[in-house]
Amino acid sequence: MPVLELTGVEKHFGGLPAVDGVDLRIEDEEIVALVGPNGAGKSTLLKAINGLQPPTRGSVRLAGVELVGLKTHVVRQRGVAMVLQHPQVFESMTVRENAIVGGLFGVGGERPSAATAAQRADDALTFTGLIDRAEVDVGALTLHEKRTVEFARALAGQPKLLLLDEVMAGLNDTELAASIEMIRAARNELGITIIWVEHVMNAVMSLAERVVVLHFGRTIADGVPADVMAEDDVIAAYLGTGGDR
Amino acid sequence: MIRAYAPIAIATAVLACVPALFAGSPSMMTVVTAGLVFAAYAIAFNLIFGSTGQLFLCTGALAGIGGFGSAILSDRLGVPMVLSIGIAGAAASVVGGALSWVAVSRSLGTIFTGIVTLTFSLAFQNFVLGRGDLTGGENGLRISAGSDGVLDHQVAPYYVFLALVAVYLVLFRRIQRSRMGWAFRALRDDEVAAKLAGVAVARYRIYAGAIGSAMLGVAGAVFAHHRSFIGTTTYGFANVDIRVLVMVAFGGIGSLLGPILGATAFTALDEVLVDYAQLREVLYGVVSVVLFLGFRRGAAPTIVDSWNRRSSRWSVAKRADSAPEADSR
Repeated sequence: MPVLELTGVEKHFGGLPAVDGVDLRIEDEEIVALVGPNGAGKSTLLKAINGLQPPTRGSVRLAGVELVGLKTHVVRQRGVAMVLQHPQVFESMTVRENAIVGGLFGVGGERPSAATAAQRADDALTFTGLIDRAEVDVGALTLHEKRTVEFARALAGQPKLLLLDEVMAGLNDTELAASIEMIRAARNELGITIIWVEHVMNAVMSLAERVVVLHFGRTIADGVPADVMAEDDVIAAYLGTGGDR
Repeated sequence: MIRAYAPIAIATAVLACVPALFAGSPSMMTVVTAGLVFAAYAIAFNLIFGSTGQLFLCTGALAGIGGFGSAILSDRLGVPMVLSIGIAGAAASVVGGALSWVAVSRSLGTIFTGIVTLTFSLAFQNFVLGRGDLTGGENGLRISAGSDGVLDHQVAPYYVFLALVAVYLVLFRRIQRSRMGWAFRALRDDEVAAKLAGVAVARYRIYAGAIGSAMLGVAGAVFAHHRSFIGTTTYGFANVDIRVLVMVAFGGIGSLLGPILGATAFTALDEVLVDYAQLREVLYGVVSVVLFLGFRRGAAPTIVDSWNRRSSRWSVAKRADSAPEADSR
């Protein structure tokens, strides 16, 4: 059984389809990059999965269980975490406190003690390399560090599936390399399945095992990165065709 | 643990000494007792607005549900006073919880929540005026329950309200330190981030609305039995909501002792301006505008932060000045 299965997922805004009938099967511990030109519906698809922007039609099943109709926090507690391009962190809290919130509320069907949540937070901060900055106020961090805090908060909630939305935008080479390693380690060491929307193509080519290309809300290619990026439809979607001019 | 509750113990101890200053003056005891009532209202409002960002502009109406409800239950139906206070508090809790539910289910922001609750507040005022058979209408309602007990004395009611304020502060602190407190902090900081972290934002907002409203209802009910008379203005918007808003905004939105600081400051100011009733209302209006434009977190915390930053800059400059001396040694 796939970890995640999307069937005929559509998301319309005022009658305009942003996602237009996407079918997708994600297997356990895959790293899948979701790419495509701006406005292709990639981020909207991620938000349809976790309920931030519920689908207009279609089915989203996590390990066979329907997620459509569930609130975002419930989807989170079922094991789907998300990290956004613009870091959504708790600015009045420290790094550790941010991660503790993930440890306290991220896991469904339990009410962990403060000590358990703190331990989960520290484990996540150790994993992401933030443990030495645990007591720093999040407001004082760089963009990359804030994204890492969000990543740690997601990990503290022990997710099965991690949705990453352009988390490498605006990073320098060192930060980019660190992010790639962190995502790879999350899959290799923690067994987390990853769906990752990204525009930074060298990162996609070095990390993703499978690439799905969206264009105008539809899947136009799905496969191994090198093969997919060489397809004529994909090149045309990114660069346009002579007829577009 | 002790450290977390020490500010409450200190504040309660300081406030417990106040009657020693004014015990000889019945009018001043009335003023300081009313100050404590407003402190209780402000703590409850702070739980709803300061903790979860829900602008409840019906503080007075919710206290009024407690006051009128308890008065009617005890005087008309013969329900024992303590029980009637509890029932009235529960009724206020249900109404406040329902208002929160409306706000979260319709995804109303702070401003629209304010508009909806203000409308409720005006509707409540009209209900009090219109149902004179129940509420006494324009003539007000005389209450006999509690008039021959501890609430009727000069000094004892002060300590009753002080106990209520202390209980509310402990409750506020306990919530701050609980799982619910983490949820409140998270959703106040960033609602989307809270949802992504697994916080049931809507449910916790309703909890805040229901708990804070119960606190308002109980405080309003005890106040009614203490005063033995309540009228249309006792829980009116201008009388209660504006003052409570200014007190919390002054003392520090979301802080533990902010409402106490605000209630103390504005009770004192009220007394200073006692001969200028209209001027006082204008002042409240001006102060509330200034506070919300210039001191989003509250005047006291902003001033303290600014002072801390200034002293830190001063000490850095001092160290820099003394550095050459150290080098020369």
